[in-house]
Amino acid sequence: MAATLGPTQGADSDLDPNIVEEETRGTDGEEENSQQTGAVTAPQSRLAKLPLSRIKALMKADPDVTLASQESVFIIAKATELFVEMIAKDALVYAQQGKRKTLQRKDLDNAIEAIDEFAFLEGTLD
Amino acid sequence: MAERPEDLNLPNAVITRIIKEALPDGVNVSKEARRAISQAASVFVLYATSCANNFAMKSKRKTLNAGDVMSAMEEMEFERFLQPLREALEAYKKGQKGKKEASEQKKKDKEKKSDAEESDKNKDEEEEEEEHMDEEPEVENEAEDEEVEN
Repeated sequence: MAATLGPTQGADSDLDPNIVEEETRGTDGEEENSQQTGAVTAPQSRLAKLPLSRIKALMKADPDVTLASQESVFIIAKATELFVEMIAKDALVYAQQGKRKTLQRKDLDNAIEAIDEFAFLEGTLD
Repeated sequence: MAERPEDLNLPNAVITRIIKEALPDGVNVSKEARRAISQAASVFVLYATSCANNFAMKSKRKTLNAGDVMSAMEEMEFERFLQPLREALEAYKKGQKGKKEASEQKKKDKEKKSDAEESDKNKDEEEEEEEHMDEEPEVENEAEDEEVEN
């Protein structure tokens, strides 16, 4: 994974190349593979982009959750991916209204306020 | 590892990739927006889990299964996710089947070796199973694949 460490100008410049922060140094791929130590490199490691171990850890945080099947962890991972896609697209609408090509935090806030499905997020983000 | 569930973040690089793939070329995302989306994703996991768990409890099951998650999606008004999730689940199940067969082969080989050694290691392995959950083929039914100790 090439780390695009361009000059982080930040702010609203339309030509904002700050992808940056490849903090995980490719650990994502490693994480997924490490769960299948030695066994068949199963295709489903590519079916979910998010590491199942991290998803699992989050699920475990719920004291009411006793056990969770592998499938359920996978489905939640996949659903989360769909969620990220959805919220990014919905927030983009607001950026475009502001004639910006850079998605900003306020676009997220607007989307959360306006869209019913995102109501559960209200008050949860820093 | 993490003090609060909210501190458990999903890897930035992956979140970024998902966002980039969802948006048209030429669109950028500020660091703050990315961070917020990542946080939102974590909250989503927690909320979906809680919701799914309610369904499991209603059915008097202790194990959260894929069906519970589907029901949760509906409850959360994310019906649009159901179809793609079902497809993904099918593909996942097929993959699991292949892994299971390979793993069973491994188990047979293991048994031929020292059984004594294994019984000692069992205690350690049980903890390990939690981490390597995905490689352990938990029999036919996805019963207690995951031991969530709290």
